[in-house]
Amino acid sequence: MRSVKSLATAAEAGRHQREWFADLRRRVAAGEPFALLNADVPHEIFRTMDIPYAVSQWWASLVAAKQRSGHYLELVRERGYPDYSEQYNAVTLGSAFDPEPEAGPWGGLPKPDIVVGDASGDVTRKVFDIWGHEPGVTFYPLESAAENEVPANWWELMPHRWEQAVGPARLDLLTAELENLVRFLETTTGRRFSESRFREVMALVNEQEEWNRKTRDLIARTRPAPLGVVDSIPSVMLPQWHRGTEWARDIAKRFYEEVRERVDTGQAACPDERARLMWIGRGLWYDMGFYQRFQDEYGAVFVWSMYLAIAADGYIRYGDDPMRALAARFAAFTDQLYTPPWSSEWYVKEARLHGIDGVVHLVSDDPRGSYFTARALEAAGFPVIEIHADNVDARTFDDEVVKRVGQWLENVVLA
Amino acid sequence: MPTALAALEEAYARRGAPPASPKGPAGDRTPVVGYVGADMPVELLTAAGVRAFRLTGDPESGSALGDRYLGRGVDPMARSVLTRLLDGAFGDLDHIVVSHDCEASLRLFYALRELRRVEPGTKLPEAYLVDILHLPHRTTARYNRRRIGEFAARLEAWTGRPLDLAGAVAAHDERRRLLAAVAELRRAVPARLTGRQFLAVADPGLPVDEHIALLERLLAEAGQLGEHAGRRVFLSGGDHDTPHVYEAVESEGYVIVGEDHSFGGPHPDRPVGAGGLDALAEHYHHSGPTAHRATVGERAAHAARAVRHCRAELFVAYSRIGDEAPAWDFPAQRAALDIPAVLLERQEYGRADLTALRKEHPCAV
Repeated sequence: MRSVKSLATAAEAGRHQREWFADLRRRVAAGEPFALLNADVPHEIFRTMDIPYAVSQWWASLVAAKQRSGHYLELVRERGYPDYSEQYNAVTLGSAFDPEPEAGPWGGLPKPDIVVGDASGDVTRKVFDIWGHEPGVTFYPLESAAENEVPANWWELMPHRWEQAVGPARLDLLTAELENLVRFLETTTGRRFSESRFREVMALVNEQEEWNRKTRDLIARTRPAPLGVVDSIPSVMLPQWHRGTEWARDIAKRFYEEVRERVDTGQAACPDERARLMWIGRGLWYDMGFYQRFQDEYGAVFVWSMYLAIAADGYIRYGDDPMRALAARFAAFTDQLYTPPWSSEWYVKEARLHGIDGVVHLVSDDPRGSYFTARALEAAGFPVIEIHADNVDARTFDDEVVKRVGQWLENVVLA
Repeated sequence: MPTALAALEEAYARRGAPPASPKGPAGDRTPVVGYVGADMPVELLTAAGVRAFRLTGDPESGSALGDRYLGRGVDPMARSVLTRLLDGAFGDLDHIVVSHDCEASLRLFYALRELRRVEPGTKLPEAYLVDILHLPHRTTARYNRRRIGEFAARLEAWTGRPLDLAGAVAAHDERRRLLAAVAELRRAVPARLTGRQFLAVADPGLPVDEHIALLERLLAEAGQLGEHAGRRVFLSGGDHDTPHVYEAVESEGYVIVGEDHSFGGPHPDRPVGAGGLDALAEHYHHSGPTAHRATVGERAAHAARAVRHCRAELFVAYSRIGDEAPAWDFPAQRAALDIPAVLLERQEYGRADLTALRKEHPCAV
């Protein structure tokens, strides 16, 4: 079944994304530099320097939504690379190998001049590095460092006490890498980096995410939920890829106001709400209808995904040194989502905040694992069901999942 | 008296077993440290005077606990190590030190750290991460130096005494020199050591001084070594912490004359030299190129050099389920080589499905 969005904000974000991408293609065709960025690297540098960019994972989600991920993974396979590994980035790499790139979604992804990714995992750097071997493409890698001891309550520390949460070793490293990135971009693109513009961008990002925080809190305390994740994901994530712009800040505000209005007028995603569900994992981009499949029969609403919640808790960084604050946003970003105790404690905090009745955990065939998340949630009294699939590779999704989740709702969550 | 080779193979078979009497020179109990990963600055462990050995898995003994805590997307080698730790297979370890040589090691560290926090009944010792990174930039070099210094300080805190770094570096450099000489025996035509034998010679799990003594004897006894005339294979890809895959490949009549994983000898084999912690940090910064940390270009260039050096006739890349980095390297490696190349992908831990090898590159036993 197709997902049905009801928020004007979601529709507006979708419209804007198409217009932005068409404009991006025009700018690139006119000779401007174009960067392809991994999701968890500091886009704010590119925003400050007005270098057009797109996000690898956003493109993969679009490809998956168009049911085209198999095509791009096949192109990866034809080059001899594995089509079963790191699909989230490999799908986008496949576009570099497409003999008919213009046949891709929305006219196709332009060829980047610069790709930037972090050296996380064993494969991400390789995927981007392979891209860097394409003619005219330069890969700029960033490290992915780790820490021995971390305080568990990162979401309380991050806005102002990020030095304490992340630790100076990682912050010194990424700050230095970002200073070098600025110099690299100034040299290769001819664009200038304005410190005052950078401070504006950083302030806009914090404003945008503060609006997201208000929206998250509002949804968390409202019953029945004013909207489900089919509306909240595009309303938060499309602006997330434009963070640091006034448009993104303003639509984050409008998103809040629209949700506020729905709450005030008693509108609900599922008026007969019987179970509030949490979706842990990346978005199931090839089947967004999944999230609304259990509303009519079970009154079960997916009220939570990481996308709004991480916008609320994971991005805000205040401080006098904007480059170090930016480093603090990303030096441990994925730990917030995937590394215990940060991830597990945060999911429990969010489940409690939202009054969650059950957790559906998408477990991909990659090293992030699921045990400590499920353990923490179950120990806190939240039932968890795990489903195994890749979020962009539809070949890995078993249709039996819908049946399993339905039985779990009946026998566990609603029993 | 057994030959040095026999002694090394016997030690290899026993590696990881709890030490019988971990007493120090003064009769006190010497701290026992199990370590994980290729990026471990072992010189610091020696300098601290601890009894240290690399933790290895076992494909034969199951990995249910490791599967549960790490999930099935993690390299099964790490899952097996965790299972064995929880089963007490390594005896009473005082500390576990983990290097960030690959994602599986990092995930293993996180699991150990979290298990101590939320399931103290597992009675796991403290785990410590040595976060050595590998981008070829000064920013990374400075980070590594900081982490090496922190690790040295931690070891001093654990043992309560200063490190003898110069002595430890000298000993490990001597071991590197001797191992490089032994590796030449295997590279000879015909090879004087099999790949399976070299695994035992390279990392028998012995203290460095005992290892050095046996390597010296092995070189002195080189004339007694057999000749192995099988088709010469270079084995690329993921780590092999057990001999299973080597035995499977060599049972088909091949002889593995070189490899690029971390159990096949120290990487790199150049000495650390004088220079203290600065030199040590630089040494490990530039270790490899391993499948998990190097680019495909670096891996391909290394493969071309190593294959020539080993006079290999066939290149076999091996990639386990959950350890996919080697499969990404393979297309560039194949293109860089002037010998046949085959990829064994999505392999089970400790297994080698040799169907592709037999079909495309048969070797008469």
